[in-house]
Amino acid sequence: MLISSFFIWWYGDGWKQVIKSIGNRTVAISDSFSVSTLLRTWFAPWKRIISYSGDSFDDKIKASLDNLFSRAVGFVVRSLVLFAALVTIIFVAVLSLIEIIVWPLLPALVPISIILGIIL
Amino acid sequence: MNEQTIKLGSVRHKKARLGKKIGKGGFYLLVLITILCGALSTYILLIGGKNFAALLLAPALLSFMLAAWWKRDLSVLAPSKKSITDRLSYDVLSNLPISVKDNKQLFQALSNDWQSNFMLGHLTITDEAVLSAIDDSPEAFTKTWLTASQIADQNQSDAIEVGFIIASILMQSSAVKEMVVKSGNKAEDIKDIANWLARSLEAKKNDKKYYGGIGRDWANGWTPLLNRLGQNISLSIEKYGANYGWLTDSEGVKAVEAAFDNNAKAVALIGPDGIGKSSSVKALAQKLIEGKSTPNLAYHQIVGISAMDITSNAQQPGQLEALIVNLINEASKAGHIMLFIDDAQTFFSDQPGAIDASQILLKVIQSGQVPIILAMSDSDFQRLRTKSQNLSNLITPVKLQELDQAGVMRVLEDIALGTEINKKILITFSAIRAIYQLSDRFNQDMSNPGKAIKLLGESVPHVQNSVMTRETIEKTIEQISGVKVSKAAPEESSALLKMEEAIHKRMINQSHAVSVVSNALRRSRAGVSNPSKPIGSFLFLGPTGVGKTELAKSIAAIYFGDESAMIRLDMSEYQQPDDVKRLLATGENESSSLLLNIRKKPYTVVLLDEIEKAHPNILNLLLQLLDEGQLTDESGKAASFKDSIIITTSNAGAQEIRERIEKGENIEDFANQFTDNLINAGSFKPELLNRFDEIVLFRPLNPEELKQVVGLMLEEVNKTLADKNIKISLTDEAINKIVAEGNDPRLGARPMRRALQRAVENSVAQKILSGAIKEGDSVTLDVADLSSE
Repeated sequence: MLISSFFIWWYGDGWKQVIKSIGNRTVAISDSFSVSTLLRTWFAPWKRIISYSGDSFDDKIKASLDNLFSRAVGFVVRSLVLFAALVTIIFVAVLSLIEIIVWPLLPALVPISIILGIIL
Repeated sequence: MNEQTIKLGSVRHKKARLGKKIGKGGFYLLVLITILCGALSTYILLIGGKNFAALLLAPALLSFMLAAWWKRDLSVLAPSKKSITDRLSYDVLSNLPISVKDNKQLFQALSNDWQSNFMLGHLTITDEAVLSAIDDSPEAFTKTWLTASQIADQNQSDAIEVGFIIASILMQSSAVKEMVVKSGNKAEDIKDIANWLARSLEAKKNDKKYYGGIGRDWANGWTPLLNRLGQNISLSIEKYGANYGWLTDSEGVKAVEAAFDNNAKAVALIGPDGIGKSSSVKALAQKLIEGKSTPNLAYHQIVGISAMDITSNAQQPGQLEALIVNLINEASKAGHIMLFIDDAQTFFSDQPGAIDASQILLKVIQSGQVPIILAMSDSDFQRLRTKSQNLSNLITPVKLQELDQAGVMRVLEDIALGTEINKKILITFSAIRAIYQLSDRFNQDMSNPGKAIKLLGESVPHVQNSVMTRETIEKTIEQISGVKVSKAAPEESSALLKMEEAIHKRMINQSHAVSVVSNALRRSRAGVSNPSKPIGSFLFLGPTGVGKTELAKSIAAIYFGDESAMIRLDMSEYQQPDDVKRLLATGENESSSLLLNIRKKPYTVVLLDEIEKAHPNILNLLLQLLDEGQLTDESGKAASFKDSIIITTSNAGAQEIRERIEKGENIEDFANQFTDNLINAGSFKPELLNRFDEIVLFRPLNPEELKQVVGLMLEEVNKTLADKNIKISLTDEAINKIVAEGNDPRLGARPMRRALQRAVENSVAQKILSGAIKEGDSVTLDVADLSSE
């Protein structure tokens, strides 16, 4: 009875949980890397370091360049982190996909490995 | 087993039992086998042993599958509402044997679970005691499942937990309920504790926090000055954790959130101390830092600043303003900061320890640079309105309401749970209720839940044997505030029972008055009288010098253990309508304020002399005091008189008493008629007289009693001379002479002390100086020895 309930779970709720876990893991990684915040502030100045322009043309140019530099620093750092997040999400998603495919095969692999062990 | 209520032996039940057998230890073992066999299989495969590698893969896969099954299914067993059996939690099912026939067996099966200990521990009853009193009838067994299911429904819990079943078992037996009541609880507490357990289980499920990830603050500015001078409440919550869950959805927090969402520039949280202003801000900080707020406010951080920190960092007078401006500019530039100014009145006042930053704040709030939350009392907000209308108009006021009993109990339960874990103690449910009930007696200056939380904290050091009980709370209050709240100890009971005897050691006769007062005080101490009124309230009527004040002093000495435990006000000084203000004044040096005195000394005799002379407005106040046991000051803050004895004295009708006594009438016989006469004569309103616990008539003292008064006074003289080892006694003739000189029908025994002073003390002083009386002498003074000057 318990053995049958194991198989019912394995090919039922168990498999569903594995499929669902792709989404959960992606959200968790995205949260840890602050993906939504970084996307929203991708081009924002780094740590709000901004210069306020004076009246003269030179001052305005200097302030604009400073601010552009601050935004560039912010953009680079955020881009690197977003890239790292993307790589991690893809890596975990691939692993999860493999898990989804292998999951239903695992119970069958047990007798197969025993048989292989004997005949090889 | 009742088939209609629970079906044991089902697959779900068997899975739970298997899950328990495997347990966490088994799970880790399976994981270890998976890793070892998997690694070994890989290694063997690499070195060419294909068959062994394949053989080792089998146990690795098998243990992996079992571990996954245990982790994701067996140890979780998601409940469903299909039937009661399907709704039972893993903890319940895994503990139940294949067959359970009645509540006794059910209790035995579940009593080792922590939830059972939670229920019984907080009720202070033991497994053994419960087992002997359980109702093991089939009807009770059926009802147990239904009640447990109802408890789960009421708490919106998907599963029927162990604690709900234990509560339900206890609720089915009247013998158990009796036991619960005997251990200081109420029968309803069983359900309340189950609800408490349900809340803590729900909190456990939601304890995974998310604070925004690594890039949260990259778009926000640096705040070095704020980091140095302010207190970042949000980061403290992130670092050390916090649970203000009970407040995050409160009306106050929602109102602040809504105000800022609607572009409010500043919000003032208004309410008395202890109502939860700071806690509301912390709850808001928790909500924001967890990103659970609206997108506009999500991940904003709340930084608290105090006037004291700022002033202590301003070296020179001009620096103060600059420092405040810099702080606000920094917060504004950072873009994610909300400023919290606790005790905001310290920023609008020129008193010591405060600063007047109203002009600076006006500009800042007008510009809307940075959201600001202020916390202050209602009266401080009114003062701000008077001082700077422009500033107060820019602030959105949010008035916090005091929590009701259920709310305060919830807060206390949540905090008690944390305290239990941190201090490794058990706080019984009766102790938690006592904290709520007695917090008023402990602290009158704060509101709830603040004063209740404070009392809980203060009680921890008084815990004995790791259990906090109602007695712990009572002891804490008695030690800190001096208010008697526990049952009278045997010595105290004996003193109360012999109160008349003790009073008569200090005053002569007035047996009726003494007996009436003693009975009233015994009723109060035994808990028979109304606890929301003063301990006792008396109107002492009678001529001058018959012992009214002496009886009040005796009560202070015997009931409160100190003759000076008395607030004495002469009501002839409160004859003008404006004197009400003086009586209710709250300034620091208002010695004539009754309110101020009672707040300083709540456990006291309040003696209001010559009450008939007070202005009618004051008598109206007295009505409120006697009715509600409290008076309220201008700011709406109440001062409690529930731990005081109110004694008012009056000479009204003194002549009538004297005449009736002289005619030989008995005071007990004419007391009622005398009171009617006072009402008819307009001396007192009937509604005032009706509110006193007792109206006590004092009769004039006769010459024989006056002689006894002389005896008492002489004892006092001898006490003073005891250091010199000198003892004075008087002959009968000498006593008669003093009585004759000291007796004045208008002033009673009052001139007696002067007569004794003149006749005895002067004479003794002269004899000591002349050497006629030496140390160790016992002297009897006759008429001739008494000094006539």
